[in-house]
Amino acid sequence: MMVRCLRTAAVLSILFAFTRAEAIPAFAKKYGVSCSTCHSAWPILNQVGQNFRDNGYQFGLGKDDPVTLSNAYVPLAIRATGAYQYTKITNQLTDAGNTDVKTGGVPTPGADFLLAGTVARNLSYLVVAAGFTSDEPAAIESAWARVSNIAGSSWLNVRVGKFELDLPASSHRGVSLLADYAVYGATNAGIPFNLGENQTGVELDGHNANSGTRYSLSVVSPNEDPGSSGAWSSPTVYGHVQQAFDLSNTVVPWARVGLFGAMGRLPTTFETSGGEPMYGTGTKLKPFKRAGADLTAIFGYPSTPFLVNATYVYGKDDEALGGDPGNSFQGGFVEVNWVPVSELEYDATPWLVFARYDAVKYKTGPGDLSGVTAGVRRYLALGPRASMALHVEFHQDKVKGASSDFTSGDPLDVTTQAVMLGLDFAF
Amino acid sequence: MTRTRFLSLVALAVLPATALATPPDAEAAKRGAKAFGRYCISCHGTSGDGRGPSADWIDPRPRILTSGTFKFRSTPSGELPTDDDILRTITNGLNHTYMPTWRALTELERKDLVQYVKSLSPRFAAEPQGKPVAIPPRPKFTKELTAKGKEVWNKVQCASCHGDGGKGDGGSASTLRDDWGYPITPRDFTSGPLKVGDEPEDLYRAFQTGLNGTPMPSFAESITPEESWALVAYVRSLRKD
Repeated sequence: MMVRCLRTAAVLSILFAFTRAEAIPAFAKKYGVSCSTCHSAWPILNQVGQNFRDNGYQFGLGKDDPVTLSNAYVPLAIRATGAYQYTKITNQLTDAGNTDVKTGGVPTPGADFLLAGTVARNLSYLVVAAGFTSDEPAAIESAWARVSNIAGSSWLNVRVGKFELDLPASSHRGVSLLADYAVYGATNAGIPFNLGENQTGVELDGHNANSGTRYSLSVVSPNEDPGSSGAWSSPTVYGHVQQAFDLSNTVVPWARVGLFGAMGRLPTTFETSGGEPMYGTGTKLKPFKRAGADLTAIFGYPSTPFLVNATYVYGKDDEALGGDPGNSFQGGFVEVNWVPVSELEYDATPWLVFARYDAVKYKTGPGDLSGVTAGVRRYLALGPRASMALHVEFHQDKVKGASSDFTSGDPLDVTTQAVMLGLDFAF
Repeated sequence: MTRTRFLSLVALAVLPATALATPPDAEAAKRGAKAFGRYCISCHGTSGDGRGPSADWIDPRPRILTSGTFKFRSTPSGELPTDDDILRTITNGLNHTYMPTWRALTELERKDLVQYVKSLSPRFAAEPQGKPVAIPPRPKFTKELTAKGKEVWNKVQCASCHGDGGKGDGGSASTLRDDWGYPITPRDFTSGPLKVGDEPEDLYRAFQTGLNGTPMPSFAESITPEESWALVAYVRSLRKD
């Protein structure tokens, strides 16, 4: 039952996630370029943006160093979303029986404050403070420093701090404001590890000149690390390699394939203090693993892309960490982002249509999830200073056995539906 | 020479320039407009007139693409660049400027952008594009060659703009303007690569072609290829970083 509840909580927590997506207009301000330089549609990164990011927030042309900039330049960006949201969740347990929860309103908007840039040539940083609401107090979501192009090689870059793993699709830069990628948080043992959450540790990464070939290798203590004893708490290794293909035709001009995986170990026994497990005393580490593959392709003309990302993940947590013996899961998502037009205007790409299908299936027990997300963004401004988008989105998912019947205790499926209409802005 | 061949040569000689022009590929240019709207107009403006919303505060100012005047070419002074010249600038970007590298774009987009950039200036429909200047094999850069380059430096009076030490602080540096009247700074040869690249051939090419739209002339008629390589050797010796 605990595992079931954790899975349910994971599903429900995907709602009210208004400020998850990152984009950094400070870079557009620094270089005088439009958001569409680095984003297929804000906040989805395109290959130029990927290359800029891989280079340590540098274009490498002598204008990256802050000493070349006006003293008035501040590498600060702000992101917030104000929106109406209506949510319906079925089969929720109350003291009086099962009921459907239906509620709407404008949640208190959270905000992201992003500081990012270069300290000097090949030295870059990012600090993101997020939250600032009564429900979600301010917290450091990301904070890292990076040394790029070590020994003059783009294949050697090191990042230290709290950062997002190099995922097939960024959880923090996804376009959906309602739903995270469900498979990132899937677990058959109820462990807190979530691929989509930022982790603390060290990353070694590299790429070729246009980021067509890339790798990332991270050693981290996973999010919500319970704390094991030893030189590296709850050691977890994550790796991802990608290879892109410039096919230079107007049907499928570009495609990329990738392989990724994570292996970690979490403690199962702890010393206690006041009956509570004491951080840093965990022993008897047991393994968990994730492995997957990703395929990204552009259909149509690259400047007005019909971008498809299909990602598959297999996962297994040791039964000593919880859950049913021998259990495992597999799942993934297929995501489509379509920019239908690009015009010779300063708001060149005014529309984004997006849709996603998520699925997670467990070998045994409850928790199987299937969900769809779809929406449209109409960019009201998309210039070199700031952006604002009218965002309309619908999400529905169904989780098998995530609740139980009040009288019989039999498992019940939970269906969540949410719709939102809001203004999303970044400056 | 046969009579037929003679008449053919005469006919070629009297053909209007438009007949030899290589106007942009219309279909590729139409596609390239989409990429231009997405990536280029913030600086170069919606019509390519160099008056995008960021143009006023970036230095050097963005190229006025409607003029058909391009600094970085492989073609003789005053002539239009080749498609490969434009593609090279788009792909590699320009050092010390706000023109980033666009090598992460697909080759299809970059080539389409070349055609769209050509469509912005009527010159490409009216004039032939130039032929690349020949670059002889790079010699070994010896002390003797560098010393000879110093003589060439003095002969063509590079110091009047670039300064005695090559720092871009020559006597006339503060008076220089480009063809549109904007102040322009001579290259500081002591620091960093050229805008167009960091290979010796990039310097050689610049000496031969000059930089259209700027006070930097072509020395193709005033120094020999050997002297040009010697000047390359000397200018590279000025580099301090």
